[in-house]
Amino acid sequence: MSDSESRPVETPDTKDGTAGANEDINVQIEGVTKVFGDQESDEIVAVEDLNIDIRRGEFLVFVGPSGCGKTTSLRMVAGLETPTEGRIRIEDEDVTGYDPRERGIAMVFQNYALYPHMTVAENMSFPLRIRNYPDDEIETRVTEAADLLEIDDLLDRKPSQLSGGQQQRVALGRAIVREPSVFLMDEPLSNLDAKLRVQMRTELNEIHQRVGKTTIYVTHDQAEAMTLGDRVVVLNDGKLQQIGPPQYLYDNPVNRFVAGFIGEPPMNFLPVSIRKEDDGYTAVGEFFEFGLPTDVERAVDEWDGSLDSLTLGVRPEDLSDLSVLDEDEYTENSTLDAQVKVVEPMGSDKFLTVTSKTDEDTEFSARVAPESSVEPGEPISLSATLDKIHLFDDETGQNITY
Amino acid sequence: MSNADEGYERLSYETRQGFWDLLESPKVIHFVLAIAVLTVIVPIFWEVLTSLKTNEAVYNLTYFPRNPTLSSYYEVLIGESYWRAVVNSVIISTATTIAVIILAVPAGYAFSRYRFRGDNVLFIGVLFSRLFPPIGLIVPYYQIMSWLGLLNSLPGIIIAQVYLWLPLMIYIMRNFFMSIPTDLDESARVDGCTQLQAFRKIALPLALPGVAASAILTFLYSWREFLFSLIVTTDLKSMPISVAVYQFVGDVSVQWASLAAASVIAIVPTILVVVFFQRYIVSGLTAGALKE
Repeated sequence: MSDSESRPVETPDTKDGTAGANEDINVQIEGVTKVFGDQESDEIVAVEDLNIDIRRGEFLVFVGPSGCGKTTSLRMVAGLETPTEGRIRIEDEDVTGYDPRERGIAMVFQNYALYPHMTVAENMSFPLRIRNYPDDEIETRVTEAADLLEIDDLLDRKPSQLSGGQQQRVALGRAIVREPSVFLMDEPLSNLDAKLRVQMRTELNEIHQRVGKTTIYVTHDQAEAMTLGDRVVVLNDGKLQQIGPPQYLYDNPVNRFVAGFIGEPPMNFLPVSIRKEDDGYTAVGEFFEFGLPTDVERAVDEWDGSLDSLTLGVRPEDLSDLSVLDEDEYTENSTLDAQVKVVEPMGSDKFLTVTSKTDEDTEFSARVAPESSVEPGEPISLSATLDKIHLFDDETGQNITY
Repeated sequence: MSNADEGYERLSYETRQGFWDLLESPKVIHFVLAIAVLTVIVPIFWEVLTSLKTNEAVYNLTYFPRNPTLSSYYEVLIGESYWRAVVNSVIISTATTIAVIILAVPAGYAFSRYRFRGDNVLFIGVLFSRLFPPIGLIVPYYQIMSWLGLLNSLPGIIIAQVYLWLPLMIYIMRNFFMSIPTDLDESARVDGCTQLQAFRKIALPLALPGVAASAILTFLYSWREFLFSLIVTTDLKSMPISVAVYQFVGDVSVQWASLAAASVIAIVPTILVVVFFQRYIVSGLTAGALKE
């Protein structure tokens, strides 16, 4: 099946990422396409017809697997790549052909790109000095930024004498002193170790709240996208899949790609066909039968495609251990029997890897309450929260319950 | 497995390791190094000793001069006016170095940073001109210099030197610039630089070790170049020291002491350059010392 053929659908606040007339738009990406290629190799479409309006002060995160076009999109906003088609507007000005320096942007690179032959202070003042700011203003701004980032005691050091986290702060500082209208960040946390990454993530959130500037942030890490973004743009194969607030994407993925990409551990996908019965629809899988709730039934009624080859999506946390549930917390036609393969206690809950009783290769995961006493190799009965299941068309990947 | 087998295995292992240990032992290493150093030193040693004799005393067949004298040096430099050749060499090498660096550094940067139609073909073309055996170009080069009226002139030699060393230096500078992350240039451009400013303020300062190495190598190479200088000049007024030394090899006899003195004079600047700048040569040629 092909995820890429599915089209982005209307989200509650935007259509295709473009905004209403009365919103304060800072950056506009208008029908931008980027094609790489030369006479020798085949052309590669890195970004295809991208339309996004970015609001003032918004923290917008581009997320997607590697090669999905997210970095290329950012570099086109920065002016480091020229779009093959389409326009980029910043502050209502068409900057498509402009040099990076003429765009009022600051950028944080994945490798920080600190100038090795300059001290921290020189690095941070470089964007101001090249623009001939007066010395006292440079001094003030660098000191302020250094205070904000708690690197005031490092100003005389060279980048090579700093740890990764400190280099990261200097790179941020160099962007902040510019007081740009837009911050661009290209996977700024990916070179940090796991613990520092989580810590810097929180700090980035704080800094964004204090500085309040429009930020476009690129990451392959869906957890960063969820925690940082006011809105998240999911890209795949150079095409916009969905744009919206993180929780909205999590609850209402437009297609199977978004459903599988957002959320950790990822959503389970199980093949089903829909059978019509007297009292409604039933989703029939290899080892379970779920009676569909009213919302889903309405969606199935409106769906004019095939009902035989669908995929049921259910998040791990929507599968509970039946043995620790009360009688009234589940219904008869929402349960399935499976075999426990691996138990990973996380403290707050337990991650289970379970398989079908008949087919060892059909693996899926469940996130159950810590009181659950299952052991590997034991059978288990799980109850699915049917209000939260999704049905995807196998052919287009489209979420028919969206 | 029996005990005997185990013993055999272990002995064999230890014997083999013993051989490699011996190869790595300081004694063996010093012995090999000593031979290598002697091979290099002995001719120079002979040259210095001979230069302290007179042309006649060379035929006394003693290793050490009986009456050490600097008369050969005086004779060569002042009597034969070879100081001119030294001055010529300094001018040729300096001018060549300046010209090559001015051309090679931006060219190397461009090859390291920009993709354009035919960039690879152009780069291979640059290198290919150097893969061509220089001797094959001697005759056309002589013709060209003759037409231009540049025979027996310093520019006639300098042009040849630039032609000879520029491709190699473009190659070295390109590699050096490639070791400097492109992110830095891009960051500089976002920070407010034009492309040229990004080169001048970021890439060039970081490439200085490479520039120094290229400059030193160009100076040394053009100082010692012989072939092109030989065919362009017949006159001491424009002759570099490398060719001038050769003048003591006559058709019927060789003036050994003068030849040796002239050779020592030719070598000394080279040695000084290497002694004072070797740190740059090493760091420049081991590009990649720059970590992101």
